[in-house]
Amino acid sequence: MTFSIRKRILLFLCVLISALLSAGCASLRGRGASAVEIGPGGKVVLDFWNGFTGPDGKMMEAMVRQFEKEHPDVDIRMQIIPWGTYYDKLTLSLAYGGAPEVFILHAARLPEYASFGVLEPLGDLVASSQPPLPVDDFAPIPWQATFYKGKQYALPLDVHPIGLYYNTKLFKEAGIVDEQGRAKPPTNWEEFLSAAQKLTKDTNGDGQPDQWGFVFTWQRTNWFTFAYQFGGGALSPDLQSCIMASTENLAALRRMNDLIYKYKVAPKPEGIDAWLAFRQGKAAMALEGIYMLASLEEQKGLPYAGAPAPQFGPVRAAWAGSHLLSMADGISPEAARAGWKFMRYLSDHSLMWAKGGQVPVRKSALRSPEFAEMPVQAQFAKQLPYVRYEPLSPKANALFPFVDPAVEAVLLDLESPKEATEDACRRIEQVLERP
Amino acid sequence: MQNAPLQTDPLLRSERARFPGTGHSAFGLRRSQMREGWVGLLFALPHLLLFGVFLLAPVLYGFYISLHRWHVLAKSHPWVGLENYAAVLSDDIFWIALRNTAYFVVLVVPLGNLVSLGLALGLASVKRFQAFYKVCYYLPVVISIAVVAVLWRWLYNTQIGLLNMYIGAVVGGLREIGLPLAPFQPLPWLSNPLWVMPSIALMSIWWGAGGNMILYLAGINNIPDDYYEAAMIDGANAWNRFWAITWPLLKPTTLFCLVFSVLGAFQIFGQTYVLFTGGAGPARSGLTVALYMYQQGFGQYEMGYGAAIAYLLFAIVLAFTVLQFRLLEGRAERAGPDEKMDKPVGEPVEEEAV
Repeated sequence: MTFSIRKRILLFLCVLISALLSAGCASLRGRGASAVEIGPGGKVVLDFWNGFTGPDGKMMEAMVRQFEKEHPDVDIRMQIIPWGTYYDKLTLSLAYGGAPEVFILHAARLPEYASFGVLEPLGDLVASSQPPLPVDDFAPIPWQATFYKGKQYALPLDVHPIGLYYNTKLFKEAGIVDEQGRAKPPTNWEEFLSAAQKLTKDTNGDGQPDQWGFVFTWQRTNWFTFAYQFGGGALSPDLQSCIMASTENLAALRRMNDLIYKYKVAPKPEGIDAWLAFRQGKAAMALEGIYMLASLEEQKGLPYAGAPAPQFGPVRAAWAGSHLLSMADGISPEAARAGWKFMRYLSDHSLMWAKGGQVPVRKSALRSPEFAEMPVQAQFAKQLPYVRYEPLSPKANALFPFVDPAVEAVLLDLESPKEATEDACRRIEQVLERP
Repeated sequence: MQNAPLQTDPLLRSERARFPGTGHSAFGLRRSQMREGWVGLLFALPHLLLFGVFLLAPVLYGFYISLHRWHVLAKSHPWVGLENYAAVLSDDIFWIALRNTAYFVVLVVPLGNLVSLGLALGLASVKRFQAFYKVCYYLPVVISIAVVAVLWRWLYNTQIGLLNMYIGAVVGGLREIGLPLAPFQPLPWLSNPLWVMPSIALMSIWWGAGGNMILYLAGINNIPDDYYEAAMIDGANAWNRFWAITWPLLKPTTLFCLVFSVLGAFQIFGQTYVLFTGGAGPARSGLTVALYMYQQGFGQYEMGYGAAIAYLLFAIVLAFTVLQFRLLEGRAERAGPDEKMDKPVGEPVEEEAV
């Protein structure tokens, strides 16, 4: 008897759910062309998303305000979302609605979004831009990264190469100085190794080093730098196959492993906050992106300087990323024009952006005397002719769950470079074969 | 089954008792009963609505997704039937995740319950400041897992972590007084693959022990004092009293706690997600099924694949739960009419939303 009531409840629930589902499905289709939002006073309102949570965010805010002052017809609503969750939010908004008109993409993520057709092609806007966009003023490598299959989808805002941060006080103590007595950063493997050996010290006499010559911080960017310098990388140039287990890559990984276990000049990356070790003067050198500069400026009493990454292998290369400015596919022409005006403005004011701790991609900004006075930025910018991005493949983001553990396993000495990379390649090939 | 009276509306039961053998409507219900049914439904509506909108609908939608190749950004989501399930089952990383998860369950369920029971036994015998201790031990349960994990990440730090500092100080002190101990090597709590799961289990036990402790304490307090008095007169010592009175009479509580510990432990996610900031720990030693589901669904945006993992986890947990409920019902009957644990039987198992 009572089961009938339960059946009724079930029936009721079923109706409820099917209603909800159909409503949900209907609303989930709501993507694509959105009407332009007009604010008070006939202003075009643009949402602008980025992940600049540090000092760069304050600089961007200042630039946005300056833009609004000079362009009273456009209202920018900037939203800063930490990079850790940024892409989740961006992806879902692009898929299900609520996407911003203008947003930042990293160079290595552009092919993925472009391949799904969610980015606005910029070709016409670039061509009709007034005054004409000085294409030759852009550094070529970041400029090319804005294209996918021949179409341009973004405007490069900056480039953030990896570089060598070194502790000048520890260098002087170890006697690694030039003729004028200034700390002398290593430029190649031999100099790097000898400096690291001099800088690794047991200062409290317990038989364990407590000051290290070098420390691996972000293993992914460190690995890409080593790998590219040995002529390796994650994918073949045609992006169709995994080359992590190639002899060049194995040599690069072995050299990284040697720093920890053979030469013992870097701590095992085990339960240590590697970047903190550099900040606290317990490690004398680290390879990190220009974006870490802000955290060093915060550290009181840390004497540091920046230099191009030393050349560890036969090829000149350094990992880099870029912040690109993109727009969502299908926005109204009016919003697109306003968005382009905004993007162009940010690019034209690259020098201001550099002050927030970035390397500009406009040659005019790079050559300016103001930029030359930014010590670390200017040093890292020297690598611009040979910086390398992560594979510019739509599958790039799907590779890291296999690249990262392989590198980590080698640096923890859990697996040999060959075992680790062959395992990673087997899985990466599976990802590449997926439609 | 006469042991599941919760499913029966007591109002209806009493009415049935008053009018035995009266006529029924086409639905097998009398008119007044039907009206009461709708009234009951109306009362339940707020919950049903929330349940339907926020749990049932997403769960069913998740199943629908799992039958498609569903990249979030793709313009079309082709139907692939059970292909995602087949792919997950032949994905060795899924099996690594499942093995890790099972290892976690094995570590955390018996040990965690033992700790909870121990705490409850201790608390039951405390006469003064009992509320204070209760709050102390329960406090971690209130803290969000994100906060707990951030805290423990620092405690577990190999170089500057508090745990290693304390252990190091203790070992150093013992060496000082002449014990033949080796010099202390910092323990690789979270960086050695072999240590990862035990470390996570330790943290989880610290976090969750207070919850079950309260249940055990309630169970212990429900045991009449007469039994203990009689046992004391018979000369039973503390162990005899525990083994012959407390333990058997606590069995329903124990089973209830075990079932829910297993349920919770299989769904472990927050611990490893925060400890390894979205990664999986060295050599994937911290990768759990729920975390893998998240990585596929929200890291790679392959929702179909992620949903398939979610449903496989659901099937596993469901199987365990059915097994345990069978066990529970059997035990509860044997425990006698006064100790029936019929409360949780009526509720279906809730599955974590995809």
